[in-house]
Amino acid sequence: MASNSMQDIKRRIKSVTSTEHITNAMKLVSAGKLRKAKAIFEKTNENSHYITHTIAEMFNNSQDIPQEYLAGNREIKTTCYIVVTSCRGLCGGFNSNILKEAQREIDEDWEEPIIYAIGTKGKEYFEKRGYKIYGDYLAPPENISFLETREMSLPIIDMYNKGEIDEVVLIYTSFISSMEQEVKNVTLLPFEIEHDPEIIRNEKQVEYEPSIEAVFNYLVPKYVEMMIHSAVVESATCEHAARRMAMESATDNAREMLDQLSLFYNRARQSAITDEIIEIVAGSEAQK
Amino acid sequence: MANSVKLEIITPSKMFYRGDVELVIARTLEGDEGFMCGHSWACKLLDIGELWIQEKGAGKDDFKVAAVAGGFIDVKDSIIIYTDAVEWSEDIDMERVLSEKAKAEDWLTHNEQTGDPNDVIKAKIAIAKAITRSHVAEGGYRRKR
Repeated sequence: MASNSMQDIKRRIKSVTSTEHITNAMKLVSAGKLRKAKAIFEKTNENSHYITHTIAEMFNNSQDIPQEYLAGNREIKTTCYIVVTSCRGLCGGFNSNILKEAQREIDEDWEEPIIYAIGTKGKEYFEKRGYKIYGDYLAPPENISFLETREMSLPIIDMYNKGEIDEVVLIYTSFISSMEQEVKNVTLLPFEIEHDPEIIRNEKQVEYEPSIEAVFNYLVPKYVEMMIHSAVVESATCEHAARRMAMESATDNAREMLDQLSLFYNRARQSAITDEIIEIVAGSEAQK
Repeated sequence: MANSVKLEIITPSKMFYRGDVELVIARTLEGDEGFMCGHSWACKLLDIGELWIQEKGAGKDDFKVAAVAGGFIDVKDSIIIYTDAVEWSEDIDMERVLSEKAKAEDWLTHNEQTGDPNDVIKAKIAIAKAITRSHVAEGGYRRKR
């Protein structure tokens, strides 16, 4: 009996040890990837800030901008949701948090939504539930190029201009720190830039060339592209951070289990030895 | 010496250039235009073309040349150029440029009438970019003359 359970415990210790090795290795890999992704993310973030700033400035400084991109001049019927998830699992609640938020948003809407899935996890989720998926991007997000995001966003802007969709909502995970991430949903189009008092009105006249509409019509799609690009990069960073966290706690749990198991193992071994000694003693007593 | 102005060139993935310059020549949709310190405030779209930068303290004919794939320039107290892609003349890989140009031209000769108009426009843009880059690689169109 004792030897049997000893063997059982030994077997479990072996399997938990190998799991611990794997999770620990994955943690280290994710930590490395996170560092790389974070560097890219920081750069992109800095740059996308410029474009949004320029657009906001234009809003504050001129009255004759085209109205089709502004909030409140068309009824919102069909909404396009861009859902940014990851392609791989084992990253804790990363994907389920996004999907929960996306589902909540979609449920509030009674019209049939159009879904643009970035990452396989989101695609699988919505496919299973029978939603119409307009398009997808399934390659690993950390090496997405700007050109690829552009190809993604062009048809979306096109549909918006044609009136097939009236709203574009981007749902992604925003990176706060390596320990903390937050699901965010941002309405890309139509714009809701308030006349922000913080941005001071320019006292000087600004020349727009060829015309203010042309500049604006160039900037708006650019803005959408930029936002999607930076969301994908940010979400990739979050994915690695989430995976690192998940793997770290998995490794911790495995170690805890190992401690417990080795305690049990020693106890079982001790009692086996005690049993044997009792047997020997009892044997020698009987011979007297 | 002329006054200098701060210039930043931004692409989606990185800060391409940041520094003090005396003169920037960029191709706007209406033609080449030079920007110097004290230029009136402007926000202009850029065409595919060459970008010439005279850095602070550089000689009269000492320009840095880059190929720009369209974008916009925002001139305020400092100048910001935002573009999708930009390359210094010395970083241009001529072989790739020529093969891309040949590919686009080849496609265009066969499909100009029949192809999807969007693809035709794309091919034409690709050729324009290739021509600009090959000019820039040789030190710029102006310098060649």
